[in-house]
Parts: sequence; C-alpha cells; structure tokens
Amino acid sequence: MPDSKLDLLQGTLDLMVLQTLDVLGPLHGYGIARRIEQLSGNEVLLNQGTIYASLVRLQQRCWIAAEWGVSDNNRKAKFYSITKAGKRQMKEDQTQWERLVAVITRVLAASGEGS
Amino acid sequence: MRQIWIRFLSLFKKRDLDREFDDEADSHIALATEDYVQRGMPLVEAQRMARVRFGSIESSKDAHRDSRGLPRIEGLLYDLRFALRRLRHDRAFALTAIVTLALAIGLNVTVFAVMNTMLFRGFPLVQRNERLVYIQEQYPSGTGNITYLDFEDWRAQAHSFEGMAFVGEKNISLSYGEGRSLDASAFTVSTNVFGLLRVKPTLGRDFVPADDAAGAAPVVILNHRFWESQFGGRQEVIGTSVLINKVPATVIGVMPEGFDFPTQFDVWIPYMRGPEVNQRIPEAFLAVGRLRDGANLQEARAELETINHRLEAAYPATNRGVVPSLATYSQSFIGPDASVIYGSLWVAAWFVLLIACANLANLTVARTVGRWRDFSIRIALGAGRGRMMRQIFVESLTLTSVAGVLGWWITKWGVRTWAVETASIYQILDYTLDSGTLAYLVAISLAAAILFSLAPMGKVLQIGVNGALKSEAPGVTPGVRGKRLAAVLVAGQMALAIVLLSGAGVLVRSLMNVVSADTGVGDPEHVLVGFLSWPSGKFPSPAAALGYVDRFEAKVRTIPGIVDESVASNIPVNFGTQRAFEIEGRPNPPEGGEAVQFLRVGPDYFRVVEAPAISGRDFNDGDRTATLPVAIVNQSFAARYWPREQPLGKRLRYIDLKQPAEWLTVVGVVPNIMQGDATRRQFKPLVYLPFRQAPRVLGANFLLRTGVPPGQVAQAVRAEIQKLDPDVVLKKFTTLKVSFGFDPGRMDRGHSEMGKYAAVAPIFAVMALLLAAVGLYAVIAHSVSQRTKEIGVRMAIGAAAEDIRRMVLRAGMLPVAIGVILGLAASLGVNRILQSQLVGVPPDDPITMACAPVVLILVALLACQIPARRAMRVDPVVALRHD
Repeated sequence: MPDSKLDLLQGTLDLMVLQTLDVLGPLHGYGIARRIEQLSGNEVLLNQGTIYASLVRLQQRCWIAAEWGVSDNNRKAKFYSITKAGKRQMKEDQTQWERLVAVITRVLAASGEGS
Repeated sequence: MRQIWIRFLSLFKKRDLDREFDDEADSHIALATEDYVQRGMPLVEAQRMARVRFGSIESSKDAHRDSRGLPRIEGLLYDLRFALRRLRHDRAFALTAIVTLALAIGLNVTVFAVMNTMLFRGFPLVQRNERLVYIQEQYPSGTGNITYLDFEDWRAQAHSFEGMAFVGEKNISLSYGEGRSLDASAFTVSTNVFGLLRVKPTLGRDFVPADDAAGAAPVVILNHRFWESQFGGRQEVIGTSVLINKVPATVIGVMPEGFDFPTQFDVWIPYMRGPEVNQRIPEAFLAVGRLRDGANLQEARAELETINHRLEAAYPATNRGVVPSLATYSQSFIGPDASVIYGSLWVAAWFVLLIACANLANLTVARTVGRWRDFSIRIALGAGRGRMMRQIFVESLTLTSVAGVLGWWITKWGVRTWAVETASIYQILDYTLDSGTLAYLVAISLAAAILFSLAPMGKVLQIGVNGALKSEAPGVTPGVRGKRLAAVLVAGQMALAIVLLSGAGVLVRSLMNVVSADTGVGDPEHVLVGFLSWPSGKFPSPAAALGYVDRFEAKVRTIPGIVDESVASNIPVNFGTQRAFEIEGRPNPPEGGEAVQFLRVGPDYFRVVEAPAISGRDFNDGDRTATLPVAIVNQSFAARYWPREQPLGKRLRYIDLKQPAEWLTVVGVVPNIMQGDATRRQFKPLVYLPFRQAPRVLGANFLLRTGVPPGQVAQAVRAEIQKLDPDVVLKKFTTLKVSFGFDPGRMDRGHSEMGKYAAVAPIFAVMALLLAAVGLYAVIAHSVSQRTKEIGVRMAIGAAAEDIRRMVLRAGMLPVAIGVILGLAASLGVNRILQSQLVGVPPDDPITMACAPVVLILVALLACQIPARRAMRVDPVVALRHD
C-alpha cells in the first residue's frame, strides 16, 4: 500500500458516493467504500468508517435512501440507493466539479508557463 | 428546514441511532472480513485487516453523530444536565438562589402589572386608551363639572378630536314586571359613547343617534353585573320594557362582562336635553374625547382653552373664569401623581432585583472560585473558555427559569391581593395579566441571568493556564481581586437598600401624619359612627324621612351606655357638600363667589364631638323646617369672612342660578373640626346647618358617644336599627377613630394613592434590607471559610479571638459603610421626587435619614457577627492541618 494518499476535498466524497450508487444501484456501505478504493486505484483511501458520516448526511438531504437487506452472501446489511433528487444533485455537482477542475488546471498551467 | 427537523428529532433517538450505527459497523466489518478471506487471507488476519481499514469505530461514531444531529444543542443539553447535577449537589445554594430570585422577579412583575393597569390600560375592554382624554371644567368656586352647551361647542369646534362623548349621572328608580321598584344608578350619556370607547354590547345593540332625539322612545343599556343580579342573566330581557322613574323604556343591550364606565353604575341611558339644558348650568360628570391621529394632549388643551375664552366673552354671566381641564385616564382617575407613584415603585422593584442579582453574582463567583482548579486544569488541557462561560450561563439560566415560573405565581397572587386590598368603587381597573406581562417576566428573568453571570464569567476570563494552577495552591488565601468585586457588590447593595429604606421611611411618616392628625374631635375612640341607608321612594317626603330619624334617635338614646347622639350629613374628616355662597351686604364677585363645605347636623352634634359652641348657641330641637333657617360657622370661617366683626346675626345664602335661595342666619360659632382636607393639615371654613331643615333626606350618618367601650353597645345598636325598620340598612358601622385610619374609599383620589403607596413602600424596603443582609452574610461567611487556614496561622502566631473577630467585622463593615454613605447621598436626591406625596415631612427628613443607616448597620452587624463568631472558634491546629 502506498504511504501517501490523497486527502479528500470537502464534499468530494459525497459526490463519489452518489456516482457509485448511480452506476451500481443499491449497495451497502462496505461495497461503496470498496468500489471507491478500487476505482481510485487505491489512491484515495479513507478510513472506511468515514463513509458513514457521508451516508447519513446524504440521507438527511434526501439524496439517497436506505433499507436493511441481505447481501449476496446472506449477511444482513443496510443498502443505500440514489433518489431522483440525488441524481439531479449529482449532475449539478459534476458540472460544478468539472468547471472547478478546468479552472484549476488552467491556473496551474499558466503559473507553469510563468516560471 | 426539513433537515433541521430531522436533526432535531435525532436528538431524541440518540440511543436507537447509535445502535443502528453499531449494527451497520458490525455488518461492514463482517463483509470486509469475508472479502479478505475470499481473497485468501487467514481469518484472524482478515478480521484484523477489516478493523484497521474501518478505522476507529468511536471516531466514526462521533462523526456520524455530528452529521446527523445538532452538535451545538447537544452540547447545551449536556451543559443543562451538568448544571442540574451540580445544583442537585448544592441544594442550599440552589434553594437560596431560586427563592431570592423568585421573590425579586415576582415583586418586579407584580409592580409592572399594577403600573401597567394604573397608568396605561384604562377602562376594561376600551381600545387604544392612550388616545382618550377626560375633560371637565373648573369653576372659580373650585368645583368641577361641565355644562352640556359648552360640551356641544367643543364638539362642534375642536379639531383635535375624532369624537367626543358626554357623561352625566342620575339616580333613578327602575322597576320591571310585577317586581318592586329598585334603586339604580344611571349614567346619562351621549349616544356615541360606546362607539368612541370602541366597546360593543355583548347582547342587543348599541345606542344610535336617534335614541336621544327629542321625543325618541326611551331606551336603556344594562351593566352586565346588574343584568345578572336583577334579571338573572336572561337573554329575553332585550326588547322588554322596564319603568325608569315610572316611564317605560326598552332594554336594548347589555354591555360585556367586566365593563364599567366611568364608575360602577347599573345602567346607561341617553342624555335627554330638557329645558334646563339652555342655561349653561354645570351638571354633567365629565366628557371623554378621542384624539385624532397626530393630535396631542397639549394641542387639544390649547384648543379647548381658546374655545372657552370665546365662551367667556359671549356668556360672561355663566362662563367667566371657567377653564377646561384635560387629563389622561391615569391623571383623571388615579391621580395627578400616578406616574410618580407607580414609576418610583417600579424603580424600587428594580432596586430589589438588582440587590438579588448582586447576591447571586457573589454566590456564583464563590462557587466558580471553588471550581478554580477544575477550570484551570481544563484550560490547560485545551478546553475553550467559551465553553466554560456557556456552562456558567446555562447554570444561571436554569436557576432563573425555575425562579421565573415561581415568580409568575407570585405575580398572580400579588396582583390579586393588590386588586382586592385596594378596590374602590371610584376606580374601574383591569388587572388581567396579559401576554405582555408574561413577555416582560421572561425578559427580566433573562436579564437577571445575564446580570449575575457577568461576574463569574469575568472570573473565567482571568484564568491563565499557569497562574491559576499556581495561585490556587492549597491553603493560600485567594487573590485580592475576587474580594474587591464582592466588596463593590456589597457596597452597591447597601446603597440601594438605604435609598429604599429612607424613601419608605418618609412615606410612612407622611402617612402617619395624615392618619394621626388632630381632627378637633375629642376622644374619637368612644364614638360609634354608621350610615343609615334606605331605598329611594321608601319615604315619600322629607318629613317622612325625618320622622324615621326621630324614631331612630329616640330608640337609640334608650340603649344603656350611650351618652349622646346626633345625626349628620357626613362624619368628621370626610367631605361635606361644596357649595358656592354669598354673604348679605357684600358685593357678589362677578364669577359667582367662593365655595365652602356645608354640613347638616343634629342638635347634639357638637356635644358628641366635644366641640361646644364658643359663642352663640348650638342647634336645638326647635330648628325645624318651619322655623327660621339658621347656620353655625366654624372659627376658620369666622376668621376668614368676618375677621374683625361679630358673626352672630349675619346672614348668608347659597348661590343658586335657578332661583334665589333662602337667607341663613348665623346663630353660633364653633371650634374647628377637620373636614374635607385629604391631607388633614388644614381646618377649612365650614357652615353647619340643622339636619331637620334639610330639603331632602336621602340617608343619614349618625354619631353615638358611648360611656362604655363601644364594642359593648354596638350589637344593641345594630339590633335596634333592624327592629325599627328592616328596610333600612346599616353601613360603614365602626368607631370614629377607626374611620380616621387610612381608607382608599374615604380619601380623595390623589391621596388614597398616596396611602397605598406608603402602605406598600415598606415591603420593598424590608425585602431590600433582608436580601442585602443575606448577601453580606454569604460574602463574609464564604471569605471566612476561604481564610480558615490564614486565620489559623494568625492565631498560631498569637492573634487573640477578639482580633480575629475585629478583622472579619472590618472586612465586612467597610463596604457597608461606603454603601451607606453613597446611599444617603443618593436618597437626598431621590426623595425629592417623592415631594408631592409627602405630608408634613420634608424629603430629607432628619429622623428618617438618621434611622435608615442605623437600622441597616445593625442588620449588617448581625449578618457579619455569625461568620465572625465562626472565625473566632477556628482551632489553629485543625486549620493548619486542614487540606
């Protein structure tokens, strides 16, 4: 495991959770955490526990819904799924994120030219 | 919004949500473990790995809690629980604090409610009382009333008013159905009166302008109380006919419950303009106007004065020197000094509250100092000072909340007691506690909490990490700073207490001056007085009424123990009838002559009051309706109107605008007896007339001089009156001495307020004194317990018990002395405000100014003495080992 990992920017975890649920459908907390780790190529690594604070936050905003269910290997787990409002929010956040990335990229590129 | 709600709800489901999170974490770790096992890890390693990757369960749980709940409120709830726990541990403190605060808050809100009623609320149910103005006219003779025609001129010409209504009074007989005729008192009003006040009848309709047109069918609106007592509260009464002075009138409405205007009368009828209305004779009670938006009282007054000047020029015979007097509700019905009285009581209540707050500040500081180490350790560990200040404030708030609830009960009780004790038929007051009062209570409770948290909060700010840990090393006397704050607070309390004591002192002395003034009556303890009241129409003629009086006198004189007896139109000290008069042979001043009081008395009156005639004769049984009309004047009258002449044989008469009155011949001069001066400072000029020459006898006062203690004959008198005629009711039966006492029903408006004022002022002073003493005691006791070790050291190196006592007393009494001096200086200024309420006492009355500090210092010495004794008993060995 690499030593230095990316610190997550405020709010980006929420967006990743939403995105995961949108793509994979209902999933339990462990599944979401695993998926984010895998997709990031283990670059982003959180204490998996932190995902639950994000889940509760998203739930309160009614962007995701939760239900107790049974996993593939017959274990009781709480499954989360994205709501309509959640999808709308995700789109918005994505656009926002892309704009931000574009701006930052441009700024970094410009300062690179200057030096 | 929804989010906040969900978060708020989560406060109450904390346990469930925590458990759910635990379940979820368990399932997460189980899933992860299985995953690792599947990927070929040994089970133990997989379990370890799953836990490591999850991170700290506790910190995730915290993050989970924070994002689902309201962390701030949770913190507050925690503080609240903590405060409750601490207060439970320290019951003595909690109880002292709550009782002190509850009393101070209760007193303050009670005074606020009473002040609100007295100064601002006005008649019950009336809307926008602050725009209503009550108007009378002052005549040169000193009497006040208004004439209908002047009122009409004002109504037509004055622009400052939205509307103006007219109120006169009338005694009527009222009968209905087969029933007996009843006595009722009626106000004769202009038909717009209820519309102007903005009060609607609860049943039936209001008057309409057509109701007072010439020849209109008579109508009547009933007072709710009268309707319930006489008509059994039956709705069918509306539209039925009653006889008013034998003329049928239709009942058109009933006013709402609790509505009286302007005094407790039974019915309202429209003012009918009879032929006498064209004479500009003062007859009405008052007028009430509603100011137009934008107009104020001064403008309205100036306007009416201008109109009256015009009237003076146009009708010099009747209107010369007649000036309108305009007043607000409180000036008119409570007295001209109402705002001084109730405003100063309110300030006094604030003084008491401030003293209570100072007590609590001292106590809380003492408790904070006790937690000094706890606080400094926490600060050293990185706790925020804000959090600690919040904790202190939450504790104060908890105390004031409990005290506030108790204070509300005290207020309810206090206002009810005040209302009952000061009830007078001349004042219609509405004492309902409204939401405004409640809001005030909440506000001052909050203010109190802030006030007494300030000092301990300041303490917390002073805590330095290092300094605190060091300076509170065991056994060291705490810093000078804390003591200085306590001393300042004590001095302040004492100063406030002195101001209240001296204020109450001069007021009480003033009331005593009134109550115990020389009335000119000899030995009033042995005179029984009472009022004989009979229904109007009971005796058809004055002769019949006088016949009854004759029978009463004959019967009563036979009762053993009664020495002398007389009837009178009023008893000493009360008000006689004010009438304008003229003296034969003296040019009558154009504005109508002066007015003096006239009293009608029986032949033995001057024997009963022990004031025999100085010259001339008493009245005798020969002075009757048919004989020469005679009069007796008092010394004051003789000195004023015939300073160098012999009054006997001179003649005087009433000024009567309708017809010339009979001349009255002066046959005697008697010593002065107090009559009609509310402050009882002055013997006014009086004219006595024979009771049996009275043109109308509507009731009679009697005075009985007894040779035995009056209590022994009272029952016999009562029984005789009952036996003689059951229709005659005995009222106000007491001794003359008792009737001289303070009685709001007997004194005029301004001075009955003064009496109430003087009666309640000592309550404030005593509360202030007690609270200040308790505060001083707490400060000294705390300082002694803090200094136990120091005292032990002092004793060990040779201080005598007496030295220790002196040391403690000096520490306690120094701030008291400073407070007394400041307080005396302040009260010299403050008492000046009370000037208008003082009778025969200067505001800087030396006796009061000397007594107040003496009382305070004695109480303060007592408060210091108890802890000082404890200090003296300190055993040096124990003290040095202590801690």
